[in-house]
Amino acid sequence: MSELQRGGTATDELAPPAGGLNGALLSVRNLQTHFFSREGVVKAVDGVSFDVKPGEILGIAGESGCGKSVTSQSILRILPRNGKIVGGEILFQNEDQTIDLATEDADGRVLRDIRGKDIAMIFQEPMTAFSPVHTVGDQIIETIRIHQEVSKEEAHDQAVEMLRRVGMPNPARNIDEYTFNLSGGMRQRAMVALSLSCRPKLLIADEPTTAVDVTIQAQMLELLRDIQADLGMAIIMITHDLGVIAELTDRVMIMYLGKEVEHGTVEDVFHRPQHPYTRGLLASIPKMEPGRVEIEPIEGVVPNPYALPTGCKFHTRCPDFIAGVCEKHDPPLTEVAKGHEVSCFLYGGRDRLE
Amino acid sequence: MLLYILRRLIVMIPVTILISVIGFIIIQAPPGDFVSSYIAGLEAQGDIIEPELIDSLRARYGLGEPIYVQYFKWVSSFVEGDLGYSMIYREPVVDIIAQRLPSSFTISLLSLILVFAIGIPIGILSATKQYSLADYSFTVVGFLGVATPNFLLALVGLWLLFKWTGNVAIGLYSPEMQNAPFGIAKFLDLVGHIWLPALIVGTAGTAELIRTMRANLLDELPKQYVTVARARGVKPTKLLYKYPLRIAINPVISTVGWLLPVLVEGEVLVSLVLGLPTIAPVLLDSLLQQDMFLATSIIMILGILTLVGTLLSDILLAIVDPRIRGAV
Repeated sequence: MSELQRGGTATDELAPPAGGLNGALLSVRNLQTHFFSREGVVKAVDGVSFDVKPGEILGIAGESGCGKSVTSQSILRILPRNGKIVGGEILFQNEDQTIDLATEDADGRVLRDIRGKDIAMIFQEPMTAFSPVHTVGDQIIETIRIHQEVSKEEAHDQAVEMLRRVGMPNPARNIDEYTFNLSGGMRQRAMVALSLSCRPKLLIADEPTTAVDVTIQAQMLELLRDIQADLGMAIIMITHDLGVIAELTDRVMIMYLGKEVEHGTVEDVFHRPQHPYTRGLLASIPKMEPGRVEIEPIEGVVPNPYALPTGCKFHTRCPDFIAGVCEKHDPPLTEVAKGHEVSCFLYGGRDRLE
Repeated sequence: MLLYILRRLIVMIPVTILISVIGFIIIQAPPGDFVSSYIAGLEAQGDIIEPELIDSLRARYGLGEPIYVQYFKWVSSFVEGDLGYSMIYREPVVDIIAQRLPSSFTISLLSLILVFAIGIPIGILSATKQYSLADYSFTVVGFLGVATPNFLLALVGLWLLFKWTGNVAIGLYSPEMQNAPFGIAKFLDLVGHIWLPALIVGTAGTAELIRTMRANLLDELPKQYVTVARARGVKPTKLLYKYPLRIAINPVISTVGWLLPVLVEGEVLVSLVLGLPTIAPVLLDSLLQQDMFLATSIIMILGILTLVGTLLSDILLAIVDPRIRGAV
């Protein structure tokens, strides 16, 4: 039902097709990724849709367990063994070809060619992103040579150049170092260099600032912004830190328990938050202002992922819960302003239920 | 690195001395000596021993002197390469060890090769196909292998061989080849016989290695650097052997050096059951009968091999793992 609604809005909204994806680089449509275990099924991502245009920075935010990382792993098809994409499409515009990443063989030629070259990823833990028994350069050069027909020397030069570009102090030497010899900030930079070694069209940054201290976090954001301006790739920034979203991204999607709850420009979502969950998230950020207001945490706890609430997933914690509606029906996405969508019955959608 | 090896070699000197002292004391510790157990043996057969003979035997082996004098006598000849004389075999110790070393070494080496050749691939399979039918089957086989004492397997092997061929002993050669001069025919005979003892000796080791490889690899597979490598477009095969396997196998490599004394000694219970001419049963005999030169020599050699083996392990580990290399 809600999926139909969504399909409807999407076609109405968009301009006549220009290229396969209406100008988008990546179009995720109604993605459903579930995890299967003995305890049951976890619907980690349950019908999420979004587009990323070339050169755009999209933020995906939410608490841990909301499915934001699983979304990114689904795009690159690097899910853990028990994770499966059970529905939806992940359309990627590669040159003049549109590829549905969701249906390709996870370790087949097509995906391997895209990984690291067209879509690259930055991970949370820079310490463990590199193999501890191989040099930084070994892994960067390997990536370059998987995707480009270049000699070892040529790949080495490219790797040094990329390390220089991400601000490594002594790239010619750093390339032969192991990660355990590098400082935290340098590891981060090395990891960015590794992801960017083939100049991807899309960079997915999965909580790149979570495991590092505040100064390195600031450097990291600055680096990403510089590199983005320089190389012009699109970025999907995945984080639970709304500060990072505000700092870096153009648009943001807020997720809760595998669902998209609100979606819009950073301007709209931060200044005119509509969904009670988004408002709760924003209210729980400490503010550095004189005469500051109390932090208001969201009431209750995230429900057990094996036994999700019926209807709106947030209704168990929602301050504006509409009895008889929210626990019964899945709220469809409603456009509250141009490009600003909310999935909440407070903004309509009840009329669309049968 | 060189400096590190040198330092380790220097440290080995006092440790070796300590081993020799402790080994010597322990072997001297039980009351009596070879001569008294020898006499007891003769008397049990009804022979009458004259006191002069006893004294001359004691004097010959220096048994009457204080223990430290005995120790220094023994150590100085040991260092010169004279391992002394075995009283039970009535042969120089060097000869006994030299006779037994080749078969000890061949059986142990072959069984080690079998252990690695079977254990590592099965361990990898078990880890990459975790919770599959194959993994469960090998897990059961592995537990059985770990839990079954090798000598029991040796007994079962003997019994089966007897049932099928009527041969009583496994041994390393067929009876008609036992005393033949070593040549191509004897070598082929050895090849035909040695695999069974080698397999029996290697069973527990194989089972353990399967478990170790599986556990190590399962630890590495979900690590982020594997996911990152996958996200860079690395092929699945390379994704296995270049990264997690390389790290999972390090602990195995580091134990290779420890196997050095095992190679020389052979396995005592299996050797006894199968009648294999390895060094282990000789050591047992010499200890039981207080054949001090033979026993201390073997213990010293095993002790030194353990030290050298440990050093070799550490060097190997430093070669394969840069994190260790950085630390030494």
